[in-house]
Amino acid sequence: MSKKTYYGEFGGQFVSESLMNTLQEIDAAFEEAIKDEKFLKEYHYYLKQYVGRETPLYFAERLSEKYKTKIYLKREDLNHTGAHKINNVMGQILLAKRMGKKKVIAETGAGQHGVATATVAALFNMECTVYMGAEDIKRQALNVMRMEMLGAKVVSVTSGSNTLKDATNEAIRNWAKTAEDTFYVIGSAVGPYPYPKMVKEFQSVISREAKKQILEAEGRMPDVVMACVGGGSNSIGMFADFIEEKDVRLIGVEAAGLGIETGKHASAMALGKMGVLHGMKSYLLQDENGNIELAHSISAGLDYPGVGPEHAYLRDSGRAEYVSITDVEAMDALMELCKLEGIIPAIESAHAVAYAIKLAKELKEDDITIICLSGRGDKDVNTISDYLAGKGYLN
Amino acid sequence: MNRIENKLNTLKEKNEKAFITYVTAGFPDLERTKEVIKVQEEAGTDIIELGVPFSDPTADGPVIQDASYRAICGGTTLKKVFKLVEELRAEQVEIPLVFMLYYNTIMFYGVEAFVKECERVGVDGLIIPDLPMEEQDQIKEALKGQDDTILLQLVSPVSKQRIPEILDGARGFVYCVSSMGVTGQAAQFHKEVINYLSDVKKQSKIPVMMGFGIRTAADVAPMKDIIDGAIVGTNFIRLFEESNFDMGVVREYCETFKTELNAL
Repeated sequence: MSKKTYYGEFGGQFVSESLMNTLQEIDAAFEEAIKDEKFLKEYHYYLKQYVGRETPLYFAERLSEKYKTKIYLKREDLNHTGAHKINNVMGQILLAKRMGKKKVIAETGAGQHGVATATVAALFNMECTVYMGAEDIKRQALNVMRMEMLGAKVVSVTSGSNTLKDATNEAIRNWAKTAEDTFYVIGSAVGPYPYPKMVKEFQSVISREAKKQILEAEGRMPDVVMACVGGGSNSIGMFADFIEEKDVRLIGVEAAGLGIETGKHASAMALGKMGVLHGMKSYLLQDENGNIELAHSISAGLDYPGVGPEHAYLRDSGRAEYVSITDVEAMDALMELCKLEGIIPAIESAHAVAYAIKLAKELKEDDITIICLSGRGDKDVNTISDYLAGKGYLN
Repeated sequence: MNRIENKLNTLKEKNEKAFITYVTAGFPDLERTKEVIKVQEEAGTDIIELGVPFSDPTADGPVIQDASYRAICGGTTLKKVFKLVEELRAEQVEIPLVFMLYYNTIMFYGVEAFVKECERVGVDGLIIPDLPMEEQDQIKEALKGQDDTILLQLVSPVSKQRIPEILDGARGFVYCVSSMGVTGQAAQFHKEVINYLSDVKKQSKIPVMMGFGIRTAADVAPMKDIIDGAIVGTNFIRLFEESNFDMGVVREYCETFKTELNAL
């Protein structure tokens, strides 16, 4: 299939007829916007003055010393609202504004994308509704509070498993009803085309900066670039400008939860079953009857049963590798980064750190790894505390 | 000839409108699904849409979501629904049956194997709400060269300039979605519904059916001169459930709807 909506055999537009015109309008508006100097200038102005870019590419001294290889952290955790999510939200909401939409909706799991959407909606005076699973609302009460303070309406979704997958279903249903005046801001590199392309475009600022920064610091390309993968937004942004640099290894780190063999994980690519969900054809967790299975990960942001279509393509074409890290490995890496570097990473990002530590054994002292530190761990303190108490760390 | 097209020709000769219902397979169980199909054939329902339950039904509102969820929890699978159809056909049930299902269910089974099984057991048509014309190449290829199972096309109030292409080569009937969004928004039709239906009717060589949000024949009175039939889904499921799956209630509802529809 060589259609422009596809990445190899992945992607497409598997939505109801009611949404097809909307997708075509968004596609046209998006393609026009990213060629428009004025739009790009405005986008970059807000990234600099409001989000706080560029983010540092920090040489993790003690981590590098301990594991005897050069490790750099791309500090997306230092963005306003605490994660990379806002890069994409800024782009999509500016596009919504350009298209004359006054309302935005979003889905959220852990709440980071919801908070970023509520934030930018407040900035541009747009009405914002965020769909969130009832289960996640309980687990992430603080982020619900933040969204409400920012003026968003948080809708509790009580269908199916009451988590991100169901919140996304509900957002799609409401979008189909209201698409005539409402823009759906998707937070991950998933969904029907052109969403995966838009998310990549607006997240690619991560690798654009990192490439320039590593050349300044080291005078050469890195050997490895690594990021965690749920739906795949920070990773596609981290990979984007390195895809054409054939000597750079690209590694996506999925969540292995309690272990792939237990069935309680979120590694859509580990088992490689293709399917259609949320408007796209990609790899999905499915049971023996073709129903979508629940993902499991200690990190709410990786707790998604699918993966963006371009990642599925990068895997099948061999350009990127995908591995997985368990809850325990991620939490160990999280604590290590706290102690060695004074950085509390999001549990999501800790998965990438954990794999970098594992991989370090194979690397030479001069080899360079860049890890996308996609978010900060402040939102995770409750989860971390429960986990540590259970493990006896805090006693 | 295909059972759906056959039935629609007969209705045309009799100058009758089609009454179509939606039933979630396996709700409350497969045995009663079988019964509710047989009762309806006797009561005069013309075509039945049989919903194959899926875990993530994004085109459905809460009532059908819940029915699907309960059917899945009760162990309903595509294979069992195929078996149900096979048994019904063996018991001489000839009412046209249309599978309404999401594309993942088909992909998981294998598109070609799925189509072969539909033909073999006697599934007459397919409605796939998350498969717009842009994504239909593979299934159309698999359906080619036979008449037993046909793909039905959906149009929406905002399809507009897409309508001619959607209708090009369409068979059976056109399913006109009456409102934006999902199933089960009680009689809240799109503000342009009359213009929209007229537009489709003008361009369509095959019968035009309206669905989404219809409860009684009176709901479609305003468009009686445009449409060739009505599809009742959510309201039928609700009635079925609220009557505690009473086949007498189903029979009466279908008889009344069909009579009133033709008296409009």
